Amino acid sequence: MNRTTYDAVILGGGMSGLMAALALIGKGKRVAVVSKGDPVCCLSTGCIDVLLHENNPLAGIDSLPENHPYRLVGEETIAASLEMFTEIMGETQFPYRGDTGTNRTILTPMGTKKITCLVPETMEFADCHPDEYIHIISFNNIKDFYPSYITSRYQNSGRSTFNTEVASTAAIAERFEEEAFRGEFIAWLKGQDIPDGKIALPAVLGTRTTGKIYDEISQELARPIFEIPTLPPSMPGLRLFRTLKNTFLGMGGSIYWGRDISSVEKLGAQLEALTLSNQGRATRVQGKAFVLATGSFVSGGLYAAMDSIEERVFGLPVHIPEEREHWFKDNFFTTGHAIERAGIEVDSSFRPIDSPYENLFACGSILAFSEVMKYGCGHGMAVATGFAAAQKCEEYIQ
Amino acid sequence: MLHYREGMNMLLNTDVIIIGGGSTGCGIARDLALRGIPHCLIERYDFASGATGACHGLLHSGGRYVVNDPEAAAECISENMILRKIGEKCVEPTGGLFVRLPGDSKRYRDNFLRRCAATGIPTEVLSPSRALDLVPNLNPSLEEAITVPDCSIDPFRLCMLNVTSSEKRGGEILTHHQIIEIIKEHGRCVGVKAQEQTTGDIKEIRGKVIINAGGAWSDRIATLAGNKVRLSLSKGSLIIANHRLTNMVLNRLRPASDGDLLVPNEAVCLSGTTSLTVENPDDLEVYPSEVDMLAREATAMVPEFGTTRLIRTYAGVRPLLSADTDDGREISRGFRIIDHRDGMLSIVGGKLTTYRLMAEKMTDTVMDIFGLKTQCTTAEVPLEGQEELSGYPLSKRLKDISDIICECELVNRHDVERVAQKVGTRHIGDIQHRTRLGMGPCQGGFCTYRALGIMQETGKMTPQESTRILKEFLQRRFKGIKPALWGDQLREEQLVESIYLGILAMEQEQ
Repeated sequence: MNRTTYDAVILGGGMSGLMAALALIGKGKRVAVVSKGDPVCCLSTGCIDVLLHENNPLAGIDSLPENHPYRLVGEETIAASLEMFTEIMGETQFPYRGDTGTNRTILTPMGTKKITCLVPETMEFADCHPDEYIHIISFNNIKDFYPSYITSRYQNSGRSTFNTEVASTAAIAERFEEEAFRGEFIAWLKGQDIPDGKIALPAVLGTRTTGKIYDEISQELARPIFEIPTLPPSMPGLRLFRTLKNTFLGMGGSIYWGRDISSVEKLGAQLEALTLSNQGRATRVQGKAFVLATGSFVSGGLYAAMDSIEERVFGLPVHIPEEREHWFKDNFFTTGHAIERAGIEVDSSFRPIDSPYENLFACGSILAFSEVMKYGCGHGMAVATGFAAAQKCEEYIQ
Repeated sequence: MLHYREGMNMLLNTDVIIIGGGSTGCGIARDLALRGIPHCLIERYDFASGATGACHGLLHSGGRYVVNDPEAAAECISENMILRKIGEKCVEPTGGLFVRLPGDSKRYRDNFLRRCAATGIPTEVLSPSRALDLVPNLNPSLEEAITVPDCSIDPFRLCMLNVTSSEKRGGEILTHHQIIEIIKEHGRCVGVKAQEQTTGDIKEIRGKVIINAGGAWSDRIATLAGNKVRLSLSKGSLIIANHRLTNMVLNRLRPASDGDLLVPNEAVCLSGTTSLTVENPDDLEVYPSEVDMLAREATAMVPEFGTTRLIRTYAGVRPLLSADTDDGREISRGFRIIDHRDGMLSIVGGKLTTYRLMAEKMTDTVMDIFGLKTQCTTAEVPLEGQEELSGYPLSKRLKDISDIICECELVNRHDVERVAQKVGTRHIGDIQHRTRLGMGPCQGGFCTYRALGIMQETGKMTPQESTRILKEFLQRRFKGIKPALWGDQLREEQLVESIYLGILAMEQEQ
């Protein structure tokens, strides 16, 4: 059996787990990330929603309920965490734009506007005004993008369709990594008679060298171009995840991917080690501290049985917001379902309440009262609590 | 075929007006067509929108009724044999088992076997090991199982194929038309006024006979002509599990009660049903307590059911012949034709399995009124249009695998475009019923957005319309899933929510 000891072991390789891992490794700690598989942020728009609150998301933190995880983090630390995120991404092919003090909107494939805060560079110009011209580029046979949803809402718009043999966003994105394909696309685009204004296309501008591809097309066309995030699998979500993961690896972090946790070792009030299994091969991962970032229901960190809710790794106590028949409201188009409040309650140092382990911390969407959909804080909450839990974890290790 | 200008009030003359596009109405249209009688079928929504589409998709062998209602059972076995012959593309001859679990009455079992023999329902008694050989997921502690010739049937396809015969012979089919008036002259019904649901256009249809095949809504239709149909409405709820846990229909060998049925249907299986008297067939809700009970009962027969994701719940209303009892199961499953003596005939009761027989009797009645003698041939002539259907083999669908729009049911762009181009296609349901799009494990969570996108790109509907329909669809879908939200289904639901509310921001708009 392999035996390895780390300063911190992060359970979960999604947004909050990777942010915690990056914060800790940035402080010179020996860090490992354990993950069952690709996280749900691969399915997201890639944008960092901080808080749906008028124009300034940070200004709304104080009006959140007292038990909301953001309140535990505090405005200053939230701003610092987002700054760290922007810095990390700025060093890569996937820089982010935006200001943590200001909300902005992006255009969705339905033609609606989504409120968010930090956006990939490729969506910098996605905040559209009804009077400016938008030209939508689509691809024939693409499954998850239908320009008329958008053009019907924007009177001042037009569209062109580029022919590719491939139909999925992932396959088209892969083709954009080829120089010859890009050349062909740019030549075709230049040949279209497009009025002055912006050009929008589904988010297919590559998966590895997006920054370069975006610059090249923008310069050749000499006008604002932006991407529209599509349904899963979403390229911006995938880029975000891969970038954070690769940055962590580049800093010397260890990753145990595709592993199930088969047993947990306890020593006194300490969580001592985890045993991971991978097709019969066991690995023991020992740590001074552990961070639980396994996510909520979609990620599998929480599981709802018919009449109870379980935390899947340690069986930690879970805040269950009401009986099953009241978990959801009747209207699909509302947020604030009671189930959104389910999760792990933590104290001010991000330790789960009533946890048997003093060296276990928790962050991300597994936290109780986060209500990510209601408050529009997807990814923002993960970045902030991942960063904050890492700080507490680091203090503990010292 | 009729031609008329959009927006113009039009008049159509025919011989027989059929109200209701469930299995009975569609069956009558086919029978009239084969006997050469001009007719017009009017349906409020799409075919199979009422009890037909909300049933369990079981073509009964009669076993379920043989102890309490041998007459209905005899009709079932005879119709079962006819339908598997004429409708091979919508009937899957799965066979069925009546499963006796520990504690289930041995006396009922003996009675069951005796009655099956008397009624002509072929049975074979299987030992537990032979039963497990056929259905490995069965509860291994079963006492025994008895085979019956149950089948799984696709009610949407059944309606569509029946209508095909009518369309081929000039029958007029008006879906998405609501009857707003029944025209009476000198005390006789002489026609109806029907309003197109989306455009609001009104058509006047004149006929010599009006057949009311409105199922649970037949009393409302009768009332429009000043008539009365005494019905007892019994709600039946069902739940759908994500996997085809059994290849045979499974019945519990005990007196009919809630949750005694498990039916395989393509990639999924259904557990049902409940029986609760209701007043209003338009307002059905599945209660979490029903879901729990159905899941518990199905788990008793197939333990694996307890850990399988439930993807949807739904409920239909059985329009039963009225009787003075509170339990819907005690009421006869037989049917009756009511002559209101004013040119209107109502057909009530019955069940999907006997739809053809009901249509035959109704058409015979019409022929008597017209003094015509042409005999019914619906039991011999195979359903038309089956050659266009892929049938059940997966291999055929895999050949056409490119450009898949619905991953769960392997529906490709071409299928969606073809149906979208057809006259009368206006709603997402029209496509779902004709292609099975959205009927699989994700229940349209991903593909509905695509199908509507394709419909608007082909100019079939405006983007505003498609957005409205998408919203209605998502709301209806949510209503069906909500009572069964736990486990993996809750996980899936939160993902769908994050797509439509998070990525597509469909909520921020409201």
